[in-house]
Amino acid sequence: MIQADNLTKVYTNDGAETRALDGVSFKIKQGEFVSIMGPSGSGKSTLLHVLSFFDRPTDGEYRFSNHSEKELDDTALAKIRNKDMGFVFQSFNLLARSTVFDNVLMPLLYSEVSADQREKYVKKAINAVGLNEKTNVEAGKLSGGQKQRVAIARALVNNPNVIFADEPTGNLDSKSGEQIMDILRDLHEQGRTIVLVTHETYTAEYADRLIKLKDGLIESDEPIIHRRGNGEFFK
Amino acid sequence: MLLKDAFATAFTSLKHARTRSFLTMLGIVIGIGSVILLMSLGQSAQNLIIDQVQSIGSNLIFAIPGATKGSRLSSPPSAQGIIIKTLVKQDVDALKRDPTVEQVVPQVQGMARAVSDTNDTDVTFQGVSANFFAVRNFNVVKGSSFTEEDVNSMNNVAVIGQSIATTLFGTDNPVGQVFRLKNLSFRIIGLLEKKGVGVGGVDQDSVVILPVSVAQKKLLGQDYYSYITIQAGAKYDPTFVKGRVENILRDSHHITNPDKDDFTVRTQEEALAIVSNITSVLTIFLSAIAAISLIVGGIGIMNIMLVSVLERTKEIGLRKAVGATNRDIMQQFLFESIMLTFAGGMVGLLIGVSVNALIYLVLVYFVQMTWSFALPLSAVLLALGVSTLTGLAFGIYPARQAAQKSPIEALRYE
Repeated sequence: MIQADNLTKVYTNDGAETRALDGVSFKIKQGEFVSIMGPSGSGKSTLLHVLSFFDRPTDGEYRFSNHSEKELDDTALAKIRNKDMGFVFQSFNLLARSTVFDNVLMPLLYSEVSADQREKYVKKAINAVGLNEKTNVEAGKLSGGQKQRVAIARALVNNPNVIFADEPTGNLDSKSGEQIMDILRDLHEQGRTIVLVTHETYTAEYADRLIKLKDGLIESDEPIIHRRGNGEFFK
Repeated sequence: MLLKDAFATAFTSLKHARTRSFLTMLGIVIGIGSVILLMSLGQSAQNLIIDQVQSIGSNLIFAIPGATKGSRLSSPPSAQGIIIKTLVKQDVDALKRDPTVEQVVPQVQGMARAVSDTNDTDVTFQGVSANFFAVRNFNVVKGSSFTEEDVNSMNNVAVIGQSIATTLFGTDNPVGQVFRLKNLSFRIIGLLEKKGVGVGGVDQDSVVILPVSVAQKKLLGQDYYSYITIQAGAKYDPTFVKGRVENILRDSHHITNPDKDDFTVRTQEEALAIVSNITSVLTIFLSAIAAISLIVGGIGIMNIMLVSVLERTKEIGLRKAVGATNRDIMQQFLFESIMLTFAGGMVGLLIGVSVNALIYLVLVYFVQMTWSFALPLSAVLLALGVSTLTGLAFGIYPARQAAQKSPIEALRYE
């Protein structure tokens, strides 16, 4: 599913080089739930950006579903992001003045889903995060936890294989954070691949596998034996 | 992304910034409004002039003293106030002998103070032959016009327009009354039909028409004519007759080289072309000035769109993250600017037409001018086309800026 070979990412700023990734290799299989952890500056966000086709590596090879990033132009990357990937951000990134429905609809506007199928998809996604009664509310008027659930619905609406989540609980209180993690856990139980970036051990432990980064290198890559949460959001 | 969705997305974005969208549109509204208004007024003015030139008679040819230098459309020296004495009675007699010529009307004009018992006013008087009334469509509604006998006997009679009649005699019947021009007494024998206000606010009812002999000899003391109007025979092409008129005048003036003509001959159609040309140039010139506001409006749009692109950097990043291609983003921002300018164009069109209608009502009902309402289709198409193009032209740069943002930089933007 996901295959990283010796990925490097070098940023140049005023002549000074920063090696955000310094040769990172690993594989993630279909259906895995992986947490990527590390202190700030360890390269975890950069890694997520490369994995999710937001950015290209300076060196090394990245393959997603047997497509090498090198062989794809920007438009092809956009199509894969739209069809096979879902994103959840720390700062939600919703259009505050648009309704929940319109926010969740957005990825479908760029997809091949026909116009008459869209409403069904959107409602299903909103239902999956338990926000049916907020469908026509402006996103800006929701609480933080609700906003993140809208963001998850948006990530789900195209029925992607992989969901990338970048500090999804970072802006939330602990209760809302747990809810969000329960939802992600549920999605994983339904067979989706989840890649989660976090700096909180508590959150990271919802996954089955933990990759720890330090200074752009993998420090450890181990399974989590006593993982947290049972995907109990809907139980 | 489907076009329908692109439009809907652009519309929603504009709706979320209502005040800004409205203010951005204003420049285009004013620009298109003025272009529509000026083109319509120009067309109305042209219609009016054409109507008036056509209403002065049919198959007319004008012989004017002095040669015209340069292009067909430049004016002869006599029209510029230079007195040229080359058109005389023997020319008129020679023209009358030509079988293709139906009527010949020699004319002189001058200015004098008209004085009645109760009032006085400055008038432009015209001295004409008796056939003038029929050839030039001047209808007498009270009394009668003067005859060839009046012209030959140099009788002091006059036919006057309704404004002069009102000024000199109030509501009294002017026919039979007497007034003075340069200390000569004239008896009014006819009152002309009302013609209303003409081009440039000229009162067409402020006329005094006298026998040409009287005006020439008694008032002006000259033996030449200001111009000669010729009516071509109905079965002859005026352009053909014009050539004959030129040859007759050359013979009469003993001119062999046409380059040395001391007169100018024009058909009614040529005269029409000249005035149409003047109004067209004027309309184009004024519309071009109005179009400058479109450019200013367009720059306003570009400016606002650039701000909008910067402000919505995160939104652009998000859209790209969830699958929008560069083309999708470019399309969205381009549609936004085109929708702004197109809507501005529609509102401008509406305002231009409304003001035009208002001017029409004022001119017809308050100034009592014979004005026609015109809305040239070319103006409407041009306005809507130009407004859309303005949106496209000034929207491309901001839209490209938006499309070229990388998703990660856009999402990181604070």
